[in-house]
Amino acid sequence: MSSNTTSKTYSFQSANDAAEYFLDQGWTDGLPINVPTESAVAKFVDFSNRTGHDTIGIEPVKNRKITVEKVAINAVMAGCKPEYFPVVLSAVEALLEPEFNLHGITASTMGAGILTVVDGPIASSIGINGGISVFGPGHQANATIGRALRLFVINCTGSRSGEIDKATLGHAGKYTWCITENKEFRPWSNTSEDRGFKIGANTVSVFAGLSPTQVSNHSSQDPENILRSFRDALFSAGPNQGEILIIFCPEHIQSISKAGWTKSQIRDFLYETAVRSDTEWGFGSVPPGPRPSGSGMTHSALTPDSFTLLVAGGAAGAFSSVIPIWGSGVNSHSVTKEII
Amino acid sequence: MVGEIKVLDPTINTSSEDSLLAVRPESLNGLTVGLLANGKKNSVEILQYVYEILREEHGLGISIEDNKGNASRPCPPDLLENLANQCDVVITASGD
Repeated sequence: MSSNTTSKTYSFQSANDAAEYFLDQGWTDGLPINVPTESAVAKFVDFSNRTGHDTIGIEPVKNRKITVEKVAINAVMAGCKPEYFPVVLSAVEALLEPEFNLHGITASTMGAGILTVVDGPIASSIGINGGISVFGPGHQANATIGRALRLFVINCTGSRSGEIDKATLGHAGKYTWCITENKEFRPWSNTSEDRGFKIGANTVSVFAGLSPTQVSNHSSQDPENILRSFRDALFSAGPNQGEILIIFCPEHIQSISKAGWTKSQIRDFLYETAVRSDTEWGFGSVPPGPRPSGSGMTHSALTPDSFTLLVAGGAAGAFSSVIPIWGSGVNSHSVTKEII
Repeated sequence: MVGEIKVLDPTINTSSEDSLLAVRPESLNGLTVGLLANGKKNSVEILQYVYEILREEHGLGISIEDNKGNASRPCPPDLLENLANQCDVVITASGD
């Protein structure tokens, strides 16, 4: 198996020496890594039912050929288990789709992370958390799948901090950001089913997510009152967003769904409630991208369908989240792939 | 016991064949220059400023202006081809 690898090899006296060398070369995110030995990488490649030199895509701006082996090396470094590797591979395929605009989102001053959402039975079988502290630490699959994608970006596209990555601030999700939806509390179909994948399919979706804004409302069970709480967070994303992600916590979505509201009604209400005068937009700091319409009143979203609605997080606490998408959700579009 | 551990390179470097630079002209005197703005505020202005300096100091010829209009997306191939057909050199800029 090891003789089939095509990457350059380096020899060290110990794993510690190797890890130090990787850190010194800027090949990590600044945290320690698992060293990618030939045998470790071979186990991952074997799990993919592909060969190491198979090309899974071309990075469209720099024209770099991405092979299974290179993704496997970075997944080993991130601390993944071999059984996570099909998720990582399919996520990379999604990142390479031109509409995701990987170069733009990883080079820009705007500083997006890659929010990876895994749906289907594989999420629970490999232990991806969609519940308590969904964006927080403590779960190997969440932590290392997201990290593998960041290491892939650093090492395979060259987008490392201060070089191609020119983010002004960035955010903590750039280290790692992988979740699943909380299916126990989700009152509706999941994202991949909405996008035409069959019920029960294993899928991975990638979103060029900016820093989340937490939305709190502990005082109401009324759907309209809860949804009005999202206005200020939506305004901070700027006007005319082509795609914007709403993460509903279980408490909020239980109240909304008990009142019989559908996804479509929620989208319509969010669209209508997050609107303000162009004068008010002008007082705020409108981010780069689409401008207020100039016709008097401008919505935060381009259309009701601009909202992607997910349910995630712990059962206790009335804290939801708005996650704007890089480039006003117009210059990067989320991509969903079936995990093969 | 101290053994040897072999690890694999995680990086992909662009090969030199994929990233050849255009041949640099020996002089800018009389050459046609493309000014390719990226759609950001002030990107046209800074290109004009640079063009005026190069024209005065190096005798740069006429300019052909274009604007890819969206800083967040790669330049459309037909726009690049058009500039390549008409220009000897191209300057691009990002403003803000």
